[in-house]
Amino acid sequence: MTELERRYRRLLRAYPADYRRDRGDEIVGTYLDLAIAERRWPSLADAADLLRGGLRQRLRAAGATDLIPGVRLAGLLALTTAAFLAGFWAGVEPNGPNPEWNVPSFGPFVSVGVIAWFAWLAPALLMLFAPGRPTRAAIAVALLATAALPVVSGLAGSPRPPLYALAPQFALGVLALAVVDRLPLPARALPSVAALTGIGTSLLVIGQGTYWGWYGWTAEQVLPVTGTVLLVIALLLAIGLGMRRDGRGAWSVLALLTPVGLLNVHLLAGAVNGLTSGAPRPTYPTLLVTAVAVALIGPALLPAAVALRGRYDTGRARPIEPCPTCGARR
Amino acid sequence: METPLREPTFLILTALAREPMHGYAIIGEVAALSAGRLSLRPGTLYGALDRLTDAGLVELDREETVDGRLRRYYRLSPSGDATLAAETERLRHNVEAATARLRARRIQPLAPRTVGGLA
Repeated sequence: MTELERRYRRLLRAYPADYRRDRGDEIVGTYLDLAIAERRWPSLADAADLLRGGLRQRLRAAGATDLIPGVRLAGLLALTTAAFLAGFWAGVEPNGPNPEWNVPSFGPFVSVGVIAWFAWLAPALLMLFAPGRPTRAAIAVALLATAALPVVSGLAGSPRPPLYALAPQFALGVLALAVVDRLPLPARALPSVAALTGIGTSLLVIGQGTYWGWYGWTAEQVLPVTGTVLLVIALLLAIGLGMRRDGRGAWSVLALLTPVGLLNVHLLAGAVNGLTSGAPRPTYPTLLVTAVAVALIGPALLPAAVALRGRYDTGRARPIEPCPTCGARR
Repeated sequence: METPLREPTFLILTALAREPMHGYAIIGEVAALSAGRLSLRPGTLYGALDRLTDAGLVELDREETVDGRLRRYYRLSPSGDATLAAETERLRHNVEAATARLRARRIQPLAPRTVGGLA
């Protein structure tokens, strides 16, 4: 066995053991057929291909082939929600405090958050005209801008949006990276429409004089409502798709639970505080512990569901076909 | 299997339409059919072959060992043959419709529209 073959076989461990026994020789043989004579290491593209193939095969063996399409569906819903919130906050930001009050601000804006909210409008628009790599690159830029806000705020000595407004935006953005490339125009238009709706909603709220200039009260109202609407839409989609024996919706609900939990962190922390101390509002430590718990438990739900499905649904795994020449089952 | 077929699926079925082939040959044939535009990697190819086998469009034909390497040959099933024929017909209809429209456009260039009234 050559060193190259040994390295391909090491990468083949991404596949389930049964599948490796059945198809390993064939897959590695094809890689070796394609490799040029002097190659000693698998290329990065080959390694990524094997890891991707292994993941797909593991999901298939667990009867969870709908998981990746489900996460991609969740990606579209997450991008739409992130665009709505960015639109809303982008509409709020220009209403900074009166300069005569001497209240800290970021120039004419309420906070440094304006940088991230405008960065989030770019992928919403790009999704319409250039879905795929350009949109994902813009999402990555918006994610970086969101993550950098606490640092920028410290350096500029200006206020930033509260972390409970930034954390769900970041979680939505991470999920939005999974958004599918090929979508019909109405689906691609969703993030842009959501961003415009967000801007319109903020103008409406400010126009009615119910807004008083800072994120605190507004975020406590807007985030839980947005999270609940997102959850309801995802559940309705899951029921609709489930009636057609399509499991994508259920996986998308599971994938969305982390951002939905972070959007509702005020309610969840309030419930914890209410149960433990009867306090009317969540304390900062409870808010922090609840957000960390949601951020840890939420992402663990998907692999846990795959493992459970694999354990109780092994009958769906592809039976190994007998060799048509000798009849032997490998 | 969902239709319309995605391009890699369509080209894998097209490659197998001529004769049973092993993975390496399918990769070469798909590259040739797409004029080098589509380069399948083995992990992707075997995943696609698994899905096509599950859908009953492709069957295992035979196994051989060449230079110590296992080679499995795959063939188009009757259902795969029918699916490929239906998809080809659908694409042919679209191509003919588009070709006719383009030809008509070249023969009769669009007349410039008159906007507004006469001065």
